[in-house]
Order: sequence, then C-alpha cells, then structure tokens
Amino acid sequence: MELKFTEEQEMFRESVREYCQRKIAPVALEMEKTREISIEIKKGMAELGLLGCTASPEYGGSGLDAVSAGVIGEELARADPTGSIPVFYLVQAAWGFVLNKYGTEEAKKEIFPKVIAGEYFLGIATTESDAGSDVAGTRTMIKKEGDGYIVNGEKMYISGVREAAEGGGGHLTIAKQNPELGTRGMTMFYLPLTADGITPTYIDDLGREGISCGGFAIDNVKIPKYYILGEENKGFYIVHEGYEFARGLIAVICAAAGLKSLENGMNYIKERKCFGTAIGKFEEINFRLAEHYTRLNMLRDLAYKSLWTIDKEQQGKGSRFETSKAIAMAKMFASDWACNAINDVMQWQGAFGYSRECPDQAAWRAIRSFALAEGSKEMMKMIVARELLGKEFIAYK
Amino acid sequence: MRFIVCVKEVPESIDVKIDLKTNKLQEEGISTTLNPFDQFILEEALKLKKNEDEIIAISIGTPQTKKVLMKCLALGADKAILLSDNVFIGSDSFATAYTLSKVINKIGDFDIIFCGQQTVDGNTAQVGPELAAQLKIPQVTYVESVEKFEGKKLLVKSQTDDGFKIVESQIPVLLAGIPPSSFTPSLPPLRNIIAAQDKPCIIWNFENLDGPKDKYGSVGSLIQITKVYYPPPREKGIMIVEEPITAVEKLIELLTKDKVI
Repeated sequence: MELKFTEEQEMFRESVREYCQRKIAPVALEMEKTREISIEIKKGMAELGLLGCTASPEYGGSGLDAVSAGVIGEELARADPTGSIPVFYLVQAAWGFVLNKYGTEEAKKEIFPKVIAGEYFLGIATTESDAGSDVAGTRTMIKKEGDGYIVNGEKMYISGVREAAEGGGGHLTIAKQNPELGTRGMTMFYLPLTADGITPTYIDDLGREGISCGGFAIDNVKIPKYYILGEENKGFYIVHEGYEFARGLIAVICAAAGLKSLENGMNYIKERKCFGTAIGKFEEINFRLAEHYTRLNMLRDLAYKSLWTIDKEQQGKGSRFETSKAIAMAKMFASDWACNAINDVMQWQGAFGYSRECPDQAAWRAIRSFALAEGSKEMMKMIVARELLGKEFIAYK
Repeated sequence: MRFIVCVKEVPESIDVKIDLKTNKLQEEGISTTLNPFDQFILEEALKLKKNEDEIIAISIGTPQTKKVLMKCLALGADKAILLSDNVFIGSDSFATAYTLSKVINKIGDFDIIFCGQQTVDGNTAQVGPELAAQLKIPQVTYVESVEKFEGKKLLVKSQTDDGFKIVESQIPVLLAGIPPSSFTPSLPPLRNIIAAQDKPCIIWNFENLDGPKDKYGSVGSLIQITKVYYPPPREKGIMIVEEPITAVEKLIELLTKDKVI
C-alpha cells in the first residue's frame, strides 16, 4: 500500500498553487463586493488548463482523472475563501466529465472549446423549487418534436446562471420524457441559457458571491437532438455519475478550506496573548485545534479515496455501488466538519473573526452551502444506508 | 540548433538547517524546486528555439532531481538528462563543471550552453564560467536577454554594476543568465505537464561518462568543506536615550573607543 500522488499530480499541484498564490489569493475577498470572478482570473485559469480539465484532449481538454481534478480543487479552495472559484471550477470539471462521457461528438466539439477557453460556462441544472436531491420529483418536461426536442419547466438554485445566460454556455439539465416510467423516463441534455424561451432569475446567496445563483423558466425551448446526453430515458443514471464526481470534489474542497482556516487560526493563536500568555497554550483552544486537524485530515483522505473509486470504476476495476457509497461517505460530514473548524477559528480571533475583513467568515458562509449542494448530507446518509442494507430498505421507494 | 540548459534542484525555502556533524544541509523533508536563475535562462532558450531546434536540460542530483527536469520538459525542453551517482556526491563548482562538460561532450554537437548565473543555495556563480573554460568556448555572464540571434552570431544584453552592456559573440557560446526584476517565471499548463511525461528523461551514471573517477565528486573537487556553522547571533545593540547633542557625543565616544572612527 502506497498513499502518494503521482509525479504528474504533484506537478499539477505546484503549477496551480503558484498560480493561486500569485493571482487568486491576493484578490479573492474582493469578490464579496464585485460579485464576479474577474475576466483576468478566468483567462488565467483557461491558460493553465483548469477549465473543463476533464474533457478529452481531442476537444482541447487535459482528460484529467478524478483524483487529479481533486488536486486542483484543493489548491483553489486554499486560495479563495469565498468559495466562488472552487465552485466555478468544480461544476465545470464534474459536469465536463459527464459531457465528455455521454455527449455527442457534435455537442462536444461545439461546447468544450469555448468552456476550456473560459468563454462559456458549463453548469448543472437539476434542482427545482420542489425537487432538489430528490431528482425523481422533477417536473420539467422534454418531448420530441420533429428533428429535435421541446423543453418546458423551471429550474431553481442553480450555480452560474448569470455566467451562462449573459456570457454564453449552458447547463446540463434533466427532465421527464416519459413520466409514467418514473426515474426510467428521464432524459438528460445540454440546455444553452442563451436560447429563446429562457428567462433567468437571481437569488442572493449567503456566500460564494463571485458566482451567481439563480433559476430560469424554460418556455418552449427548442434543442437539437445532438444535445441529448447518452440515451433517452437514461438521464437519472447519468446524472448520478456527475453528482458523484462533484461530491468527491466538494469533499476535497471542504477539507482544504477547513485546513486553510486552521492555518490562519494557528498563526493567530500563537501570537495573540491573553492573561500574558499565547492563547494557543489554552487547552480549550489547542485541543479543539488537534481535533479539527485530525478530523479534516480524515476527511481529506476519505475524499481522495472516493475520487480514486471513480477512477477505478472508469478503468473497469470498480462498481457503481462502491463509488456511490465511498462518495456519499466522503461528502456526508464534509461541510459540517469544515464549518465547525472554521467557526472555531472565527471564535479564536474574537471580534475580528466576525468582521468582513476576516477571510474565515467568507469561508464559513461558502462551505456551509456544501451541506446542501450536489446532494444534501441527509441524502448521503440514505445512500450509505442503502448500500449497506440493500434496496429493500429504501424509505422513499 | 542544439541548446543545452544546465539546471539545479534547490531548496524551496531559505530556511534550511545545517547538520553540524556532517557539515551538510539537512535535506530530508525539505521541499525543493528548480533554481529560479535556471528557469529564467531556460525561458530565454525557449524564446530562441525554432521548430527544428532541440533543447536538452541536464542536471546532477539524486533520483528526486528528476522532478525539476520534468518541469523543464513541461516548460518546453525536448529532452532531459539526469546525472545521478554516488560518485558525483560532494562536487564543488569545479568538479560540477567537469561533470557537466563530460555530459555535454557525450551529447555531441551543441550551439549554445545556457546556465543560471548562480544558484539560490550555493550562490557561487562559478559553475557557468568554469564550464565554459572546460569546454574551451567563450562565455557571457550576467545575461539579461538575447537581443538578436542570426546565423552564427548573437547579441546579448548583459547586466553591469551601473547598467548594462551589449555583447556580441559567435556560437558556440555559454550564456549565464540573471533575471531582470520584471521576470515572472512561467507556469506550465496542465496539458504541457501531461505531454512532458512522454518526453525522454534519461538517467546516466558515472559509467556513462568517460574521464577518471578521481576527477568527479568530492575527490575531484578543489575545495574541501572542513566546517559549516551558523554565524554567531547578533549582539544586543546599545540604545542611547539622551538629548540629541549629548547622544551624539556619547555615540562618538563609543565609536572612537571601538576604533570605528
């Protein structure tokens, strides 16, 4: 047993870390006010090959595996406490993986070069007002018409709506094609947000200010046949592969954000004195530090292992079920553990910890979202229990 | 054209501890990187490279040194050669230059040798000039940029104490480079890192080179390090808290006593 990254992955890390230190970390908190990721950063990420990095080289990507994608997510999370750039990255890496695997040649040739160049945003839009992690509750409908399809419905709480609607690009979306077949009647497809019939709305999220959140109404939107992912009626199964890729990245990102915050905290508690001594000497503080550090490293290891299961499955050496379980285990406590650590770091820093000048408050607000995003923590528990007990113990069946 | 770039793996941080028993740097657990002077001169070589040209990066070190050569390949070098053998351990700048000259002779024809002006660990700035001497080729040091390269002639901009000078040279030549303050090292994109894995990175040992064994490593070195030590800690200063005239008088008294003035 050897637990180490490959030489190539270490080189990715070195290059991305240097880029992050030069270009992202110094300006990251500005996104709380500008509420966008600057063109300069998007361009820099594109030049480095971070956008759509899971796309195959023939479409301009680097064909990264899940663990390598995790290495990049980890470095971005360390550099951007607002969590905006990690989200911007992870969504495109995870759903780029799905488009790469299930998209048609025509769609991939059309979409990937622009995503990789940072011109298009590629997102995921499955959530609706009444259907979040419960994808089966989707109400959006897709039906065949002529050579293409017509889509009607609405999506809500979607990342990157403004980026795609105004800058170009779109979201991988799921809709019911044959409602009578339940989850076996759902189809997945690419929906350009610049299409006629799309009306975006925006939501003021608690954090991650640099990337928009919103929804969009879909009114008789026509899409060509080549935008369909995989086969018709197989969308429910395809979407979970994307979720799992994204969940694994989220787990790594949570661990990285939490550990980065602990580093901030350690610098502070070594210097800050109370009753004439550094507060880092108090057990109330240093025991918590030890516990958070241990827990977050457990999370980091589990997160990378979960991404490794994806890679093994893609190589034909693993199963869907193993991947689902490993990913759900990694994501289950990712947000909670990281948020608890960051919350304590804010506490150690006293009133400063509660100010907007403190990067940890931005990290706390960002990481809190991951208890919900790409599958709630409750859903993760259901998945693990399902894999342990069997399908007959699924409560919602 | 064939360009050869000599590079070194150096500690990433200047906060390196000394092993007082062995008189060596404590290398275990230290994060290392490509010497920044070497990355600069590699990037100068890349600017001159045309499609048919070849850039070979060479380095002496442990098997771990391969990582800096892989970075050179990711930045655009075509081929890398790592010299790794216990025989090379303990080389001073002279023995290092000798080893590099033997590698270069084995490679064969070359047009320009590129070296960083110095390394951030040893800081001797001697390897480049000594290598040029061993290869019996001209050299230009403190090179900030290659201004013009046509046929067999090049013009380089070289830093001086109070500005710079333009030097003309024929090839073959050795250029020892020093980055201008405006230099920002390039970061290899992911696709180049991936492509680098397919480029040749060859490992040679003493057996691959000619020359007597006693010319290499610590045996072949002209300098033997007998002791490495930390400089004594700076003594506490003296604060003179007086009215200005009295303070100056006291300062003069102290400086006179210590024979500073």
